[in-house]
Amino acid sequence: MGAPSTAKPRQGDYFDLFEIPRKLWIEMSVLEKKFLELSWKLHPDKFVNACAEEQELSLQRSSELNDAYRVLRDPVARVEYLLELEGRRKEGEHKQQAPPELLEEVFELNESLDELRDAKASRSDLASLKSRLESAEKNFQEKLGEVDAQLQETARRWDAAIDASASDTDRTGIMVRLNELLNRRSYIRNLVTNVAKELS
Amino acid sequence: MARTVGIDLGTTNSLVACIDPQTGAPRCIPGPSGSTLCPSVVSLDPDGSIIVGEPARRRLLTQPGRTIYSVKRLMGRGVADIQDELKLFPFRIDPASKNVIRVRLGDKFFTPPEISSFILRDLKNCAEAYFGESVGRAVVTVPAYFNDAQRQATKDAGKIAGLEVLRLVNEPTAAALAYGLHEKRRGHVAVYDFGGGTFDISILKLISTTEGDIYQVLSTNGDTHLGGDDIDNLLQAFVHEKILQQHRVDFSPHSELAQELRKELIAIKHQLSESAAATLRFPLPGGAIFVQEFERGAFEALIRPIVDRTMGPVRQALADAKLKASEIEEVVLVGGATRTPLIRRTVQEYFDRRPHTELNPDEVVALGAAVQANILDRGVSNMLLLDVTPLSLGIETYGGAVAKVIPRNSTIPASAQEMYTTGVDNQTGIDIHVLQGERELARDCRSLARFTLKVPPAPAGLPRIEVKFLIDANGILQVGAKDTRTGEQRTIEVQPSYGISDTEIERMLEESIEYAEQDFAERQAIEARTEAETILAATQKALGTPQAASLTAEERAAIDSTVAALKESVSGSDYKLIRKRIDELNNATMQLAELVMNSAVSTALQGRKLAEV
Repeated sequence: MGAPSTAKPRQGDYFDLFEIPRKLWIEMSVLEKKFLELSWKLHPDKFVNACAEEQELSLQRSSELNDAYRVLRDPVARVEYLLELEGRRKEGEHKQQAPPELLEEVFELNESLDELRDAKASRSDLASLKSRLESAEKNFQEKLGEVDAQLQETARRWDAAIDASASDTDRTGIMVRLNELLNRRSYIRNLVTNVAKELS
Repeated sequence: MARTVGIDLGTTNSLVACIDPQTGAPRCIPGPSGSTLCPSVVSLDPDGSIIVGEPARRRLLTQPGRTIYSVKRLMGRGVADIQDELKLFPFRIDPASKNVIRVRLGDKFFTPPEISSFILRDLKNCAEAYFGESVGRAVVTVPAYFNDAQRQATKDAGKIAGLEVLRLVNEPTAAALAYGLHEKRRGHVAVYDFGGGTFDISILKLISTTEGDIYQVLSTNGDTHLGGDDIDNLLQAFVHEKILQQHRVDFSPHSELAQELRKELIAIKHQLSESAAATLRFPLPGGAIFVQEFERGAFEALIRPIVDRTMGPVRQALADAKLKASEIEEVVLVGGATRTPLIRRTVQEYFDRRPHTELNPDEVVALGAAVQANILDRGVSNMLLLDVTPLSLGIETYGGAVAKVIPRNSTIPASAQEMYTTGVDNQTGIDIHVLQGERELARDCRSLARFTLKVPPAPAGLPRIEVKFLIDANGILQVGAKDTRTGEQRTIEVQPSYGISDTEIERMLEESIEYAEQDFAERQAIEARTEAETILAATQKALGTPQAASLTAEERAAIDSTVAALKESVSGSDYKLIRKRIDELNNATMQLAELVMNSAVSTALQGRKLAEV
């Protein structure tokens, strides 16, 4: 095989792989174009007749490419990945804990969920309970929408900070905010999933 | 160089296909019977030889205890998984089976990959006879919704058959490849693949780039235990009940009579795809004849629940691809069961689009496999397949919950890294349980593998082991570990929960080669014997001519002794010895042949000799 190998080990993060700045707004068509271009070069199908080392490298690099594309394509996973890169992702102690401003509503919701489970077990009337839970679910769905909007807004602030070469303090502040929003989002999402499951 | 082929290893039928060197288009290779379909039926002859395909299918009626069909349903499954199947299929499972099922054929036991390997070897032989060259590598198709264990079992079957499996390709993806080539289309495509035993739906995006065409699978879904077989089972149960009511005749669902009835009902099912009504006349023991009129409407009402079961996966696949039914530009139907008018109508109504049926639904998957085999064989090409993993990969966490590390419909190869450490001082191992499936609890998911990560003794929390889970381009899991403190890399031997170990595969491969060599030796012996008989007869005839009197005494004695030696070797089965003795007789009769050159009998002898040169 005279041609030089295209599968070489690589340094750098997902943003480097796609040759884009470490910003949160990504043009999807640019991302897709680059993904397809790299797939042509790296996919294991292109290395079936190559030596074992090249096959292994192609497997490693094409899986990394696919992982990167999966993460960068998803706006929430993208934020999470950025924070991890910057060493600012902390799920920690707040994961199972309700955000303070939601405490009361979450408490009520959990009570209704318990009642529903009891009612299911004793086969008593579920209709009124169900409608209460349905409205609670709708309420939290709306909250999820709010969090997403806030995430978007903060992501824009991050991109602006990068463009303006803002100070480390400013950047850190934005990342702390992004981290809070991610935790809040995953908490509400779990809640919504649980309610939906009980209702189905 | 050995040839590369595409193989569709189906539940009901299997096919082998290649690229026609003249036309450049894929084509299926016909078997000895002239048909491109090789029934996926295997029978163990009382003499110990393996019979595959149409002759084996005939034995379903005469020797049901030595014959098996639909073995694909057992691939990669454990004993506990198949209890429902056992009620419907005449599988005779070894009660001593542990993780890997063993099926009894006559007096012997075989694993499902071994039985599948017999089918693969038969197709390989068929292709070799067609090419007049050996076949070494193959692309083998699997249902898109096959899990890791089922894929691994299919790959193992290839190995046992002596084939290098270049790639496992998902059946609907292969079908799209065959159609894409055929139709030159772009956009979103839905492939609805309803086969003998499995159902798949895949949503693809066909993209043109400067380098060539990309077939990107966006999502896939399905049911690996839903197929045409289920329609047959339903019909059979229905008729069984009627026979019991009307004639008080009850027979075991595994009996020869049941197989006979099943065969008749499959014929009725096929008839109902063409005409509005069909009549079953089935002779019962004792002389009575059971008669049942089937109308298409009633038949459709009977099978509608099965057809409806395919629509859940269709909706889920569309949702996962973030598309609406109206955004699908092309719909492709694959699998023999899609000849059923009810299925065609249901799919057409749902997508509001006339589905493609131009290619033979039985052949389209094999044709696509041949296209992919050709792409891989040549290494360079203007076509690329990007497929996905059908099921999420997860790791068991505290309390039996599952943490998803690679979500379903991720483009493969895909990977995930997880960091592990110890909980107590000097802990030497960390147990890891890998699962596949969408449910939240480990007990509801499919167990892929359990293994213990070895850790050098250290204070709790100090070791840092990074485990990499990687799903390769075949959809099969690989696990690697790295000690991030020492940088030491390790590959982990993962023993699949329902798989066969490498040593067992080795053994089966050796056995299967023995089978093959035995077969080869036997064929050679038969040919050599036939040849010996021809030359012995010709020699006898030549010795009877007047010219034979001119032979010297030594010449005559040499002929007589070589004739005796050849006759003796023919009674044995050593083909090499027979060939040697044939050559010796040829030499000994050289003078005799010359003497009778001008006589009529010389033609046979001389012709023989010329052919031998």
